[in-house]
Amino acid sequence: MVKIEKKKKKTIPLSKRERKRYVLIEILNADVAEKDFYFGFWIELLGFFGSRGLAEINPRIVLYKNNKVIVKCKRGKETELIAGLGFINKIRNKKVILNPLLTSGTIKKLKTEAQMN
Amino acid sequence: MDIVYGQPLKELLQVSSYFKEQLIVLVNTELQEAAVKKKYLKTCFLVNEKTDLNKIKNKRKAVIGGSVAANEFAVKIGANYLLQPCNEKQFFDLGLAKKLSENNITVVLMFDELRGKNSFERHLYWKNYLEVVNYCKRKGTKFIVASGGTDPLALRPRKVRRALAEILGLPKEKAKEYLSEEIK
Repeated sequence: MVKIEKKKKKTIPLSKRERKRYVLIEILNADVAEKDFYFGFWIELLGFFGSRGLAEINPRIVLYKNNKVIVKCKRGKETELIAGLGFINKIRNKKVILNPLLTSGTIKKLKTEAQMN
Repeated sequence: MDIVYGQPLKELLQVSSYFKEQLIVLVNTELQEAAVKKKYLKTCFLVNEKTDLNKIKNKRKAVIGGSVAANEFAVKIGANYLLQPCNEKQFFDLGLAKKLSENNITVVLMFDELRGKNSFERHLYWKNYLEVVNYCKRKGTKFIVASGGTDPLALRPRKVRRALAEILGLPKEKAKEYLSEEIK
Protein backbone atom coordinates (compact mmCIF):
# COMPACT_ATOMS: atom_id res chain seq x y z
CA MET A 1 0.00 0.00 0.00
CA VAL A 2 1.16 3.46 -0.86
CA LYS A 3 1.26 5.85 1.99
CA ILE A 4 0.03 9.28 1.15
CA GLU A 5 1.71 11.89 3.19
CA LYS A 6 0.29 15.34 3.39
CA LYS A 7 2.99 17.88 2.97
CA LYS A 8 2.65 21.21 4.62
CA LYS A 9 2.78 24.13 2.22
CA LYS A 10 5.96 25.97 2.77
CA THR A 11 5.96 29.72 2.60
CA ILE A 12 8.60 31.35 0.45
CA PRO A 13 11.47 32.48 2.62
CA LEU A 14 11.76 36.20 3.13
CA SER A 15 15.07 36.43 1.28
CA LYS A 16 13.62 34.81 -1.84
CA ARG A 17 10.49 36.90 -2.07
CA GLU A 18 10.17 39.69 -4.57
CA ARG A 19 11.44 43.04 -3.32
CA LYS A 20 8.90 45.75 -2.78
CA ARG A 21 8.68 49.45 -2.06
CA TYR A 22 6.20 51.38 0.02
CA VAL A 23 5.01 54.85 -0.95
CA LEU A 24 3.33 57.20 1.49
CA ILE A 25 0.67 59.31 -0.21
CA GLU A 26 -1.25 62.23 1.20
CA ILE A 27 -4.74 63.11 -0.07
CA LEU A 28 -5.29 66.85 -0.19
CA ASN A 29 -8.47 68.91 -0.40
CA ALA A 30 -11.13 66.30 0.44
CA ASP A 31 -12.01 63.61 2.92
CA VAL A 32 -12.26 60.40 0.99
CA ALA A 33 -13.47 57.03 2.22
CA GLU A 34 -11.07 54.13 1.81
CA LYS A 35 -13.32 52.28 -0.62
CA ASP A 36 -13.76 55.36 -2.82
CA PHE A 37 -10.03 55.97 -2.87
CA TYR A 38 -9.36 52.36 -3.79
CA PHE A 39 -11.80 52.55 -6.70
CA GLY A 40 -10.62 55.93 -8.03
CA PHE A 41 -6.98 54.97 -7.69
CA TRP A 42 -7.47 51.70 -9.54
CA ILE A 43 -9.54 53.11 -12.41
CA GLU A 44 -7.08 55.89 -13.24
CA LEU A 45 -3.98 53.72 -13.06
CA LEU A 46 -5.64 51.03 -15.14
CA GLY A 47 -6.70 53.63 -17.69
CA PHE A 48 -3.17 54.92 -18.08
CA PHE A 49 -0.96 51.85 -17.74
CA GLY A 50 -3.36 49.15 -18.94
CA SER A 51 -3.68 45.71 -17.38
CA ARG A 52 -0.12 44.67 -18.29
CA GLY A 53 1.46 47.84 -16.95
CA LEU A 54 -0.56 47.67 -13.76
CA ALA A 55 0.38 44.02 -13.26
CA GLU A 56 4.03 44.99 -13.54
CA ILE A 57 3.66 47.73 -10.96
CA ASN A 58 1.51 45.49 -8.76
CA PRO A 59 0.20 48.22 -6.43
CA ARG A 60 -1.55 47.26 -3.20
CA ILE A 61 -3.08 49.55 -0.62
CA VAL A 62 -1.57 48.54 2.70
CA LEU A 63 -2.86 51.11 5.13
CA TYR A 64 -5.32 53.98 5.03
CA LYS A 65 -5.62 56.42 7.90
CA ASN A 66 -6.42 60.13 8.24
CA ASN A 67 -6.27 60.80 4.51
CA LYS A 68 -2.84 59.23 4.32
CA VAL A 69 -2.25 56.03 2.41
CA ILE A 70 0.59 53.58 2.22
CA VAL A 71 0.75 51.82 -1.12
CA LYS A 72 2.97 48.85 -1.82
CA CYS A 73 4.51 48.24 -5.24
CA LYS A 74 7.28 46.31 -6.93
CA ARG A 75 10.77 47.61 -6.39
CA GLY A 76 11.91 49.70 -9.36
CA LYS A 77 8.36 50.54 -10.33
CA GLU A 78 7.78 53.30 -7.78
CA THR A 79 8.48 56.00 -10.41
CA GLU A 80 5.63 54.68 -12.53
CA LEU A 81 3.33 54.56 -9.52
CA ILE A 82 4.15 58.15 -8.55
CA ALA A 83 3.73 59.33 -12.15
CA GLY A 84 0.34 57.61 -12.31
CA LEU A 85 -0.83 59.55 -9.27
CA GLY A 86 -0.79 62.71 -11.37
CA PHE A 87 -3.69 61.43 -13.44
CA ILE A 88 -5.99 61.14 -10.43
CA ASN A 89 -7.77 64.44 -9.96
CA LYS A 90 -11.26 63.39 -8.90
CA ILE A 91 -12.51 60.78 -6.46
CA ARG A 92 -16.29 60.50 -6.19
CA ASN A 93 -16.64 63.90 -7.87
CA LYS A 94 -14.43 65.50 -5.23
CA LYS A 95 -11.38 67.22 -6.61
CA VAL A 96 -8.23 65.94 -4.96
CA ILE A 97 -4.47 66.23 -5.24
CA LEU A 98 -2.40 63.19 -4.38
CA ASN A 99 0.93 64.17 -2.92
CA PRO A 100 3.60 61.45 -2.65
CA LEU A 101 5.47 62.22 0.55
CA LEU A 102 7.99 59.46 0.99
CA THR A 103 9.21 56.21 -0.52
CA SER A 104 10.76 53.51 1.60
CA GLY A 105 11.68 49.85 1.66
CA THR A 106 10.06 49.30 5.04
CA ILE A 107 6.58 50.07 6.23
CA LYS A 108 7.83 50.98 9.70
CA LYS A 109 9.58 54.13 8.60
CA LEU A 110 6.52 55.39 6.76
CA LYS A 111 4.29 54.68 9.74
CA THR A 112 6.47 56.72 12.05
CA GLU A 113 6.77 59.50 9.48
CA ALA A 114 3.01 59.72 9.00
CA GLN A 115 2.28 59.05 12.69
CA MET A 116 -0.03 56.21 11.73
CA ASN A 117 0.70 53.98 14.71
CA MET B 1 9.58 75.49 -10.95
CA ASP B 2 6.08 75.14 -12.28
CA ILE B 3 4.14 76.91 -15.03
CA VAL B 4 0.39 77.57 -14.92
CA TYR B 5 -2.15 79.69 -16.75
CA GLY B 6 -3.72 82.72 -15.08
CA GLN B 7 -6.27 81.71 -12.43
CA PRO B 8 -7.61 82.62 -8.94
CA LEU B 9 -4.38 83.86 -7.41
CA LYS B 10 -5.25 83.46 -3.74
CA GLU B 11 -5.89 79.73 -3.97
CA LEU B 12 -2.97 79.31 -6.31
CA LEU B 13 -0.66 80.91 -3.79
CA GLN B 14 -1.99 78.65 -1.02
CA VAL B 15 -1.42 75.45 -2.98
CA SER B 16 1.98 76.47 -4.34
CA SER B 17 3.25 77.53 -0.91
CA TYR B 18 2.12 74.15 0.47
CA PHE B 19 4.17 72.41 -2.22
CA LYS B 20 7.02 74.91 -1.72
CA GLU B 21 7.14 75.48 -5.44
CA GLN B 22 8.17 78.52 -7.42
CA LEU B 23 5.30 79.35 -9.75
CA ILE B 24 5.38 81.10 -13.10
CA VAL B 25 1.98 82.43 -14.15
CA LEU B 26 1.34 82.91 -17.85
CA VAL B 27 -0.17 86.32 -18.62
CA ASN B 28 -1.40 88.03 -21.75
CA THR B 29 -1.50 91.70 -20.76
CA GLU B 30 0.42 94.09 -18.53
CA LEU B 31 -2.68 94.49 -16.36
CA GLN B 32 -2.65 90.78 -15.59
CA GLU B 33 1.07 90.97 -14.95
CA ALA B 34 0.60 93.72 -12.37
CA ALA B 35 -2.07 91.66 -10.55
CA VAL B 36 0.17 88.61 -10.44
CA LYS B 37 3.21 90.57 -9.30
CA LYS B 38 1.22 91.93 -6.36
CA LYS B 39 1.09 88.36 -5.03
CA TYR B 40 4.88 87.99 -5.42
CA LEU B 41 4.53 85.38 -8.14
CA LYS B 42 6.68 85.24 -11.25
CA THR B 43 5.12 86.07 -14.61
CA CYS B 44 5.72 85.08 -18.19
CA PHE B 45 4.14 86.64 -21.26
CA LEU B 46 2.26 84.45 -23.69
CA VAL B 47 3.38 85.55 -27.11
CA ASN B 48 2.09 84.87 -30.61
CA GLU B 49 2.79 86.28 -34.06
CA LYS B 50 0.44 89.26 -33.51
CA THR B 51 2.00 90.39 -30.23
CA ASP B 52 3.98 93.61 -30.20
CA LEU B 53 7.36 92.39 -28.98
CA ASN B 54 8.77 95.88 -28.39
CA LYS B 55 6.44 96.28 -25.40
CA ILE B 56 7.76 93.23 -23.62
CA LYS B 57 11.46 93.53 -24.16
CA ASN B 58 13.61 91.98 -21.44
CA LYS B 59 10.66 90.01 -20.05
CA ARG B 60 10.10 86.29 -19.96
CA LYS B 61 8.27 85.01 -23.01
CA ALA B 62 6.48 81.76 -23.75
CA VAL B 63 5.09 80.52 -27.04
CA ILE B 64 2.36 77.93 -27.37
CA GLY B 65 3.54 75.50 -30.04
CA GLY B 66 1.42 72.97 -31.82
CA SER B 67 2.36 73.84 -35.38
CA VAL B 68 5.59 74.08 -37.34
CA ALA B 69 5.19 77.85 -37.68
CA ALA B 70 4.61 78.37 -33.95
CA ASN B 71 7.61 76.23 -33.01
CA GLU B 72 9.83 78.14 -35.44
CA PHE B 73 8.45 81.42 -34.09
CA ALA B 74 9.65 80.49 -30.59
CA VAL B 75 13.17 80.00 -31.95
CA LYS B 76 13.00 83.21 -34.00
CA ILE B 77 12.10 85.48 -31.08
CA GLY B 78 14.29 83.62 -28.58
CA ALA B 79 11.47 82.80 -26.18
CA ASN B 80 12.20 81.32 -22.78
CA TYR B 81 9.66 78.52 -23.01
CA LEU B 82 8.07 76.55 -25.81
CA LEU B 83 4.81 75.13 -24.45
CA GLN B 84 3.23 72.07 -25.99
CA PRO B 85 5.44 71.74 -29.09
CA CYS B 86 3.26 68.94 -30.37
CA ASN B 87 -0.22 67.54 -29.84
CA GLU B 88 -1.90 64.57 -31.49
CA LYS B 89 0.33 65.38 -34.45
CA GLN B 90 4.09 65.59 -34.33
CA PHE B 91 5.69 68.95 -35.14
CA PHE B 92 9.00 68.41 -33.37
CA ASP B 93 12.19 67.13 -34.93
CA LEU B 94 15.90 66.83 -34.27
CA GLY B 95 16.67 70.08 -36.09
CA LEU B 96 14.26 72.04 -33.94
CA ALA B 97 15.66 70.41 -30.79
CA LYS B 98 19.14 71.57 -31.81
CA LYS B 99 17.96 75.13 -32.43
CA LEU B 100 16.13 75.20 -29.08
CA SER B 101 19.23 73.95 -27.33
CA GLU B 102 21.40 76.64 -28.95
CA ASN B 103 18.95 79.37 -27.91
CA ASN B 104 18.53 77.93 -24.40
CA ILE B 105 14.76 77.48 -24.78
CA THR B 106 12.99 75.07 -22.46
CA VAL B 107 10.43 72.66 -23.87
CA VAL B 108 7.39 72.33 -21.62
CA LEU B 109 4.74 69.63 -21.47
CA MET B 110 1.58 71.09 -19.93
CA PHE B 111 0.33 68.11 -17.98
CA ASP B 112 -3.27 69.28 -17.51
CA GLU B 113 -3.85 69.25 -21.26
CA LEU B 114 -2.60 65.67 -21.50
CA ARG B 115 -4.67 64.56 -18.53
CA GLY B 116 -7.85 66.01 -19.99
CA LYS B 117 -7.67 63.95 -23.17
CA ASN B 118 -9.48 60.69 -23.76
CA SER B 119 -7.46 57.50 -23.90
CA PHE B 120 -7.13 57.49 -27.69
CA GLU B 121 -5.84 61.06 -27.91
CA ARG B 122 -3.71 60.50 -24.84
CA HIS B 123 -1.81 57.64 -26.44
CA LEU B 124 -0.99 59.84 -29.44
CA TYR B 125 0.18 62.62 -27.13
CA TRP B 126 2.31 60.19 -25.16
CA LYS B 127 3.85 58.70 -28.28
CA ASN B 128 4.76 62.16 -29.60
CA TYR B 129 6.25 63.27 -26.29
CA LEU B 130 8.36 60.13 -26.08
CA GLU B 131 9.90 61.28 -29.35
CA VAL B 132 10.24 64.87 -28.11
CA VAL B 133 12.11 63.74 -25.00
CA ASN B 134 14.34 61.49 -27.07
CA TYR B 135 15.32 64.40 -29.33
CA CYS B 136 15.79 66.74 -26.35
CA LYS B 137 18.01 64.18 -24.68
CA ARG B 138 20.17 63.81 -27.77
CA LYS B 139 20.62 67.54 -28.29
CA GLY B 140 20.75 68.61 -24.64
CA THR B 141 17.55 70.66 -24.79
CA LYS B 142 15.86 71.40 -21.48
CA PHE B 143 12.55 69.61 -20.95
CA ILE B 144 10.16 69.95 -18.04
CA VAL B 145 6.69 68.75 -17.19
CA ALA B 146 4.55 71.61 -15.84
CA SER B 147 1.08 71.50 -14.27
CA GLY B 148 -0.31 73.98 -16.77
CA GLY B 149 -3.87 74.09 -15.54
CA THR B 150 -6.41 76.85 -15.15
CA ASP B 151 -7.45 75.57 -11.71
CA PRO B 152 -5.35 75.62 -8.52
CA LEU B 153 -6.31 72.00 -7.89
CA ALA B 154 -4.69 71.02 -11.16
CA LEU B 155 -1.29 71.76 -9.65
CA ARG B 156 0.87 68.69 -9.34
CA PRO B 157 3.69 68.15 -6.83
CA ARG B 158 7.25 68.22 -8.11
CA LYS B 159 7.80 64.53 -7.36
CA VAL B 160 4.93 63.58 -9.68
CA ARG B 161 6.16 65.81 -12.50
CA ARG B 162 9.67 64.51 -12.12
CA ALA B 163 8.43 60.93 -12.27
CA LEU B 164 6.47 61.75 -15.44
CA ALA B 165 9.59 63.21 -17.07
CA GLU B 166 11.50 60.10 -16.04
CA ILE B 167 9.02 57.67 -17.53
CA LEU B 168 9.07 59.74 -20.71
CA GLY B 169 12.75 58.83 -20.93
CA LEU B 170 14.60 61.75 -19.37
CA PRO B 171 17.54 60.73 -17.14
CA LYS B 172 16.86 61.00 -13.41
CA GLU B 173 19.50 63.68 -12.73
CA LYS B 174 18.44 65.80 -15.70
CA ALA B 175 14.76 65.67 -14.71
CA LYS B 176 15.69 66.81 -11.22
CA GLU B 177 18.06 69.50 -12.44
CA TYR B 178 15.64 71.07 -14.92
CA LEU B 179 12.74 71.12 -12.45
CA SER B 180 14.72 72.55 -9.59
CA GLU B 181 15.92 75.57 -11.58
CA GLU B 182 15.05 78.75 -9.72
CA ILE B 183 14.16 81.96 -11.52
CA LYS B 184 15.35 85.32 -10.19
